[in-house]
Amino acid sequence: MKVTGAVWKFPQDDIDTDQIRRAVYSHLPASEQAKHCLESLDPGFAAQARPGDLIVGGRNFGCGSSRPAHVAVKALGIGAVLAESFGRLFFRNSISGGLLVVPCPGIVAFAERGDRLEVDTAAGEVRNVATGATLRFAPLASFLRDMVELGGEKAYLKARLARDRESQRR
Amino acid sequence: MAGLHALHKILVEHAHPRPRDVAPGEFLEIEPDVFAVQVATNAEEVARLEADLAELGVDELPLRDRIFPFTDHGAPAPTAGIATGQKRWRDFYRARGIAVADPGAGISHLILTERGIVLPGSVVALRDSHTPTMGAVGAFAASLAGGTLSLFALGRYWLDVPRVMLVRIDGRLRKGVYGRDVALHINGALGQRGALGCAVEFAGSFVRDLSMDLRFTLCNMGTEIGAMASYVQPDDITLHWVRDRAQRPFCVFHTDPGFEYEGVHEFDVSTLEPQVAAPHAPDNVKPLSEVEGRHIDQAFLGSCASGRLEDIAAAAAVLKGRKVHPDVRFIVTPGSREVVMAATRLGYMDVLHEANAVVTSANCGACPGLHGGILAPGEIAIACNTRNFPGRMGPNAEIYLASPASVAASAIEGRIASPLKYLQ
Repeated sequence: MKVTGAVWKFPQDDIDTDQIRRAVYSHLPASEQAKHCLESLDPGFAAQARPGDLIVGGRNFGCGSSRPAHVAVKALGIGAVLAESFGRLFFRNSISGGLLVVPCPGIVAFAERGDRLEVDTAAGEVRNVATGATLRFAPLASFLRDMVELGGEKAYLKARLARDRESQRR
Repeated sequence: MAGLHALHKILVEHAHPRPRDVAPGEFLEIEPDVFAVQVATNAEEVARLEADLAELGVDELPLRDRIFPFTDHGAPAPTAGIATGQKRWRDFYRARGIAVADPGAGISHLILTERGIVLPGSVVALRDSHTPTMGAVGAFAASLAGGTLSLFALGRYWLDVPRVMLVRIDGRLRKGVYGRDVALHINGALGQRGALGCAVEFAGSFVRDLSMDLRFTLCNMGTEIGAMASYVQPDDITLHWVRDRAQRPFCVFHTDPGFEYEGVHEFDVSTLEPQVAAPHAPDNVKPLSEVEGRHIDQAFLGSCASGRLEDIAAAAAVLKGRKVHPDVRFIVTPGSREVVMAATRLGYMDVLHEANAVVTSANCGACPGLHGGILAPGEIAIACNTRNFPGRMGPNAEIYLASPASVAASAIEGRIASPLKYLQ
């Protein structure tokens, strides 16, 4: 899977899920939640972000609550989140929701706001489109990559249940 | 792998297919004993789940008898929006014959352990970040995120095998210093990423002598150091606590003697002073004396970190015969109905009421910032919440985390205060 987009940079460490999307918005539809995405860190971000843009984050991105803050990021149309490391719950929620999240040590120093990056999940490589500079990362476990590429947990389960039922019939 | 940790053995026992060996980082397909769920606040989410289950052709939930819904966040509903979300979720469970805990029953982590549903050797899946709290009974309790639909549709989910870190705590606490101070101190020393990607086991002479209430407090903090799960090896204290509560047989697993921990951190707490985590991070920890005298607008006692009987007892010991400062709102939200009833029986509730504390029904209360004590911009609270991230209890407000006794002492004085002088 390859994703290309322009970078929004949130280089701080330990950005928690309530900063990604505050709990008070959690009852709103996803499209409304998107308007508040990361607003406490950059009030203009949600209005200016374009579908396919990328978020670059620091260490432990999405730490804190298990509330599904990835919904706001996904609904905003963000193509991928690349961070030095992720909070475990945000990471799992994102994969399940079909939002590509890539642990990518060194990404904060590698990418600047507005850079166009190409992310190749199978090769485990990020490339700066303008300069050709590259950064390697450990590819995701293959079933997680499958899950994101299929569009999330539901699509993955659909394939899985179909396979299970097929083998039961035999 | 050279020897397995008890947590690994629990996972192996619940894995399909059952592996002969496990390595950290590897994913296993796990069938949990308990699938706990929140009566959540988002109506769109339940509509999507229903549509997804229909699309996947799932009529009967495979884990139906192991599903436990709780109404603990934003409960009873504070707004029409949240009420609508909760109604949709309740309807979803009721339609499937699944009983829903009422909004005064308490916080999921407390109820599941108090009622003997989560036991030593259990695997519990629950979409709440403080699920590691339940590791205090020797369960594998990792927060659920991603995998919810799998659990509803398939009855299984995927879990990564953790590396395990050991935190050894020795020493006896001085007067005025409590288990929560120890948890805060360790949180500060190890930092928010101290156990990222690991599970953490708490051991040592301090833990050996620690009550269950405060073992839960310690395990709760695992979340704030980034741990996937917390664990205390079940001992006589655990078994004594669990035995009369257990709703089914359980099994205690033991770590192999040759097991190699990811890292060992040692703490001696015998000279520890009362601690606080200053705004805006749970690892921004310092001695309370450094911020003593700072003005507060609100004090909060409760949460899955510090909403148990011993926490209320510690606050009542400080408050007995005294009044909350007239400029302070002191809000007490017991963690469960069992705690409410025990605290009432023991007279602690009278002490709180006589002191002019605002005592609420048992649930998460103000901690997640949904209701029950939201702060105005610019206000400052001292609280024994789980965490104090920016905006947690209200935008542009400040939260100092402290022990229940320190919270009570501060409520009396209207400024951050040590409990010591109230404990003569």
